[in-house]
Amino acid sequence: MKDSDVIILEEPKLSRADQFYLPQILIGLGTTMRHMFNVVVRGKDRVIQYPEEKREDLPVEKGGMLLKTYRGVHRLNKDDEGRVKCVACFMCSTACPANCIHIEAAESPWPDREKYPAKFDIDELRCIYCGMCEEACPVDAIELSHVYDIVGLTRQEMIFDKAKLLNIFDETVKNEPM
Amino acid sequence: MIDRLIEWWTANIPPWALIALIAHGAAMLTVAYLILLERKVASWVQDRIGPNRVGLGFGILPIIKNWKMNGLGQPLADGLKFIVKEDYRPAGVDKILFTVAPALMIVVVIISIAVLPWGGTRQVQRVITIPRSGNVVSDDAQSHLAQGDRLFGDPVRIGNTRQYQVTYRYPFQIASLNIGVLYILAVLSLAVYGVVIGGWASNNKYSFLGGLRATVNMISYEIPLGLSVICVVLMYGTLDLNLLVEQQCHYWAKIIPAWNVFTQPLAFVMFLICIHAEANRAPFDMAEAEQELVGGYHTEYSAMRFALFFLGEYAGMITTSAVCVALFFGGWHLPWIEWAWPALKGNVDAAHPALTTSLIACVVRALVFFGKTLFFLFVFMWVRWSLPRLRFDQLMMLAWRGLIPISLTLLMMTAIIVYVYRGNSYQRIDGSMAMTLLVANAIVAALIMIITSLLPPPPATNRRLTVLGSRFNKPPIPIAAGVAE
Repeated sequence: MKDSDVIILEEPKLSRADQFYLPQILIGLGTTMRHMFNVVVRGKDRVIQYPEEKREDLPVEKGGMLLKTYRGVHRLNKDDEGRVKCVACFMCSTACPANCIHIEAAESPWPDREKYPAKFDIDELRCIYCGMCEEACPVDAIELSHVYDIVGLTRQEMIFDKAKLLNIFDETVKNEPM
Repeated sequence: MIDRLIEWWTANIPPWALIALIAHGAAMLTVAYLILLERKVASWVQDRIGPNRVGLGFGILPIIKNWKMNGLGQPLADGLKFIVKEDYRPAGVDKILFTVAPALMIVVVIISIAVLPWGGTRQVQRVITIPRSGNVVSDDAQSHLAQGDRLFGDPVRIGNTRQYQVTYRYPFQIASLNIGVLYILAVLSLAVYGVVIGGWASNNKYSFLGGLRATVNMISYEIPLGLSVICVVLMYGTLDLNLLVEQQCHYWAKIIPAWNVFTQPLAFVMFLICIHAEANRAPFDMAEAEQELVGGYHTEYSAMRFALFFLGEYAGMITTSAVCVALFFGGWHLPWIEWAWPALKGNVDAAHPALTTSLIACVVRALVFFGKTLFFLFVFMWVRWSLPRLRFDQLMMLAWRGLIPISLTLLMMTAIIVYVYRGNSYQRIDGSMAMTLLVANAIVAALIMIITSLLPPPPATNRRLTVLGSRFNKPPIPIAAGVAE
């Protein structure tokens, strides 16, 4: 970097009154007072009272959330016969940049596929919700649902196993068909 | 029975004891709710609502369980949290000083409440029984009054009995000190010890830096604070806050309240700036600048010890705001309404508007005083959420190159005007003197604008230093061999 590349910004010159600081300070106080007036008197705050009001219930123009593209907690899809769709191909756990998917494959009890997941654990604390598992899956077995309010009291609780992931499918399939 | 109880009460419980109890209780409760107000103001400024979940039922008390009351229970819940939290003390701190510092801070601000003039002076007439026969001397009657009551005039004997009608007065404040202003300035400047000792005892570099900054801040701003107070004190020749308020209780041109904010607007502005700096609050909160110093001097404090620092800061704000009201905004003087209620104006002596016979008038005055104080507390918060923090050199420049010369000029101006108008006698300020003072203030303001433009500019803050390796002196980037130009 050459000396001539340095851009030196000069402070704007203060007028006589502004050198006294007070006029500018009063203007600033006026700005904050306007906001206070708008909130207290006219009720124009921008608050969503969370548990009672939720972002997905509001239109997007009013600060709402577009659920169509939202990536929440994972679910394991089931087919028409209620079997897990996953074929334990390990594509998702390979694609996962956070290494949070742990699969143990086993011989499939059904004739139409070779393998199925005996264990399927996702560490929801490690997951970055990028959705790459969903993109990698060849049989559309893993999907990210729109559920975001998952909580747990321990770290162990936040490692979702196969049963839990299938359960999420049961809960969300009505609102979000495959 | 009740008569005897009242008799015993008025003779043995001095009025200042009750006032002290109520005033301190009110102040401490106000502090708790100031924290709620602070959070509310912060949210309003940022287009939010603020805490609105915890009502006074706390979700457990019957009936009001689900009533949220806009978060009115929040301060109490916070207080409970402070009490039950772990009182953590890191290794390597100075154990004694670490404990003393918050206590020092809170003690200082609590005792500074003592001289606030809540409601002028009350004059009471009472019949007392003096068991001794013969001539009654005033001393004898005085010994039958509670401490702090001053006998006024001679006791009048009723008929031929041993009962005497006495008239006495007591100031409606905790301690009627004739050096009230000086006392508050002296006591509040001790608060810096709490800060600097806390910062030093924490054995933490950031805390220490915070303590140092607080010291510099408070010491620098104490000078213009004192000078702007002197401008007011000079006009009345008294340091007694009660008298200062009393002298402001009249009108110019029968309509404008004779408050000092009209005679000394510059001094008021400077006083307001200085009490912000004294309270260590934004935009002067260098001592606890979160972005630079973690938390400043109270980084290592937790639980109740931290709460005491917090309480001290807010209680200090109450005191300084109250002094501001007493000095510049006529204290308990409620303009224009008092014609409707003479007791509020003082119904004993027209020359002494502070004197009143009505206890209710005193209480109403206290409420008026408190209301005005609350307004200035709101200003504290309003300013905090409006202005960015000053840099350290700006802070020093404002005090030493700005406020101190201005306040000295103003002081000189005031002294000359006071001398010209009244020589050695001190009384109320009449309209013409007020006008002169106002003009003098305007002249000082104009002078300063002219002089500041003539002064040489201060040294540039971001000077380019050609130190080897600095961002202004980098070696040229080497071009890799073999790359075509």
